[in-house]
Amino acid sequence: MTIAADPALAADARSERRFFLALSLPALFIVGLAAILPILWIIRQSFLTTGGQYTVGNYEKVLSSGLTWSALVTTVELSFGTLAFCILLGTPLALALASARPRVANLLMAFVMLPLWTSILVRTYGWLVLLRRDGLINAALTGSGLTTEPLPLVYNFTGTLIGMVHYMLPLFLLPVYAAMRDIDANLVRASASMGATLGQTIRTVILPLSAGGIFSGSIIVFIYTIGFFITPAVLGGGKVNPLSIRIERTLSTFQDWGSASVLGILLLILMALIGVMFLAARRLMARNNVGTVHA
Amino acid sequence: MSRLLRISLAAIAVSVALPVYAQTVTITTAGGDYGNAIKEAMWAPAAKELGYDVREETQSDGLAALKMQVTSGAVSTDIIHLGSPEGAQAAAQSLLEPLDYKIIDPKSVPAGAKSDYCYPFDSYGTVMSWNTKTYGENPPKTWAEFWDVAKFPGRRALRANAQDLIEIALLSDGVAPADVYSVLSTPEGLARAIKRLEAIKPNVSVWWTSGAQSAQLLKDGEADLVVTWNGRAQTVKADGGTVDYTFKGSVIGTDCLAVPKGAPNKEAAMKLIAAMTQPARVAKLTDFIAYGPVNPAGYEGGLIPQDRLKTLATAPENAGTSVFSNADWWLKNGEAAQRAFDEMTNR
Repeated sequence: MTIAADPALAADARSERRFFLALSLPALFIVGLAAILPILWIIRQSFLTTGGQYTVGNYEKVLSSGLTWSALVTTVELSFGTLAFCILLGTPLALALASARPRVANLLMAFVMLPLWTSILVRTYGWLVLLRRDGLINAALTGSGLTTEPLPLVYNFTGTLIGMVHYMLPLFLLPVYAAMRDIDANLVRASASMGATLGQTIRTVILPLSAGGIFSGSIIVFIYTIGFFITPAVLGGGKVNPLSIRIERTLSTFQDWGSASVLGILLLILMALIGVMFLAARRLMARNNVGTVHA
Repeated sequence: MSRLLRISLAAIAVSVALPVYAQTVTITTAGGDYGNAIKEAMWAPAAKELGYDVREETQSDGLAALKMQVTSGAVSTDIIHLGSPEGAQAAAQSLLEPLDYKIIDPKSVPAGAKSDYCYPFDSYGTVMSWNTKTYGENPPKTWAEFWDVAKFPGRRALRANAQDLIEIALLSDGVAPADVYSVLSTPEGLARAIKRLEAIKPNVSVWWTSGAQSAQLLKDGEADLVVTWNGRAQTVKADGGTVDYTFKGSVIGTDCLAVPKGAPNKEAAMKLIAAMTQPARVAKLTDFIAYGPVNPAGYEGGLIPQDRLKTLATAPENAGTSVFSNADWWLKNGEAAQRAFDEMTNR
């Protein structure tokens, strides 16, 4: 007998659903108030002149400016650059953590998490101390004779990327590590016992099974980096100007809330586009994986 | 027992009633060392004299905060501290109450600096500073030499803002201080300044965004030549940094005090502005920070020690080669200048 066939049970299920819905109302209310209303306000603001009349002038001004497009390119470069380094550095690290004994793994994990508990400002200024012209790294490089001149490590794109990768790496690592730890060890053993090399095992067993974690990590990296402000502002030396800096500039130097709102909407659209791209890629990959397993 | 009760009731009544009689005024400054200096030298003694209860708020971006308060109709501050160009911008956007020159002495401001909306009280110079380890006894002496990268190799740090740099670029190109704004007001004037900045761009290692950052760059030797505010350069020098600076060719700016439109205690605010900018108080400010009075009376009667005069942008002996930043020009052309500047740095 199914639930639907018994009216009493069906009524129970309905009231349960209503109850759960009621439980989620406070959260929905807060999300509506704290996320959706401000976005609606920004959209409205983007169509207003400084005097409060409706206009599309803000869009014309922002979209026709070369500064907007170069900021957009910088934003995407920074986000993809950070993601690339997170995948290159974070995936092997997660693999090492997942295959370590639990006690060692916990200890290593604590080291990974430690920077997360430090304020981003402190960490960013910490990099300034390390990377600047007479900083620790350049002192070591010139002192050991590896380079004759100090390298330009900060106040440019390189320094900004270093700071951002450092900030994002633990956040990328967490979901990847979780996914890798959940892989059944018997699968790895089976793969090895059937003659696969370590490289083959990683490529055909571990990476496909942890793809979900890598995707989640990548999305987190994007959501954070696309609006990053402090790191480019401190480590970019005025030469790395993503959209977030352009927004601040438009607000504080021009007091142009309309144009700043347009830039904010642009950022939102960029985020949505990348989100859709990720979901599509994930679905495609999942389908391919299923295909190979069944074949 | 009942007597004790009566006394304590009376005490409670008095303590409740007192704040009602004390006039409350809220002042918003930039905070930090500067905000503290303004408090110690200026508004704290003035508040004591007037019997006001003054509350302080700090905002690093005064104009943005002002606009937020006035446009949202929730004005909480009675006096706001702004740079004079921001003051002119705020006045043009009707964010300020006109100053009451019946309460504030109109003769305390030199004619060139006078404003109907934002009362200028102190001044600073945007100056050339350098690392004495790099240049020893022979630093660049003029802006033309600052631009001469062959004769004075080294890393430059400039502010990521067109303000003052546009004027400095023209000075480096041989324009006389008195002619800077007439050249800038010609169609090709701005382009000439931007072109000049673009020429030095390959030697600019940092475009700095905060005064504190410029001081750090100077102190750490990250840059050899830094365009910064004299107060910042002086602080690094006084802290034992291998740093010196010159007022030659400096661009002088002023900071001012204004009353936001719809401020809750308008009249008290005007009175506090008048009291906190008395000559002795703006002279006292230089005990804390090297920002000289705008009111010429601040320099009279030995209010400021002789040896400190050379550290102040508006001191009589420093002012000869300087340009007074023109708030009106910036009000009309600021956005175009800043946009051209940003496009130059992004090229």
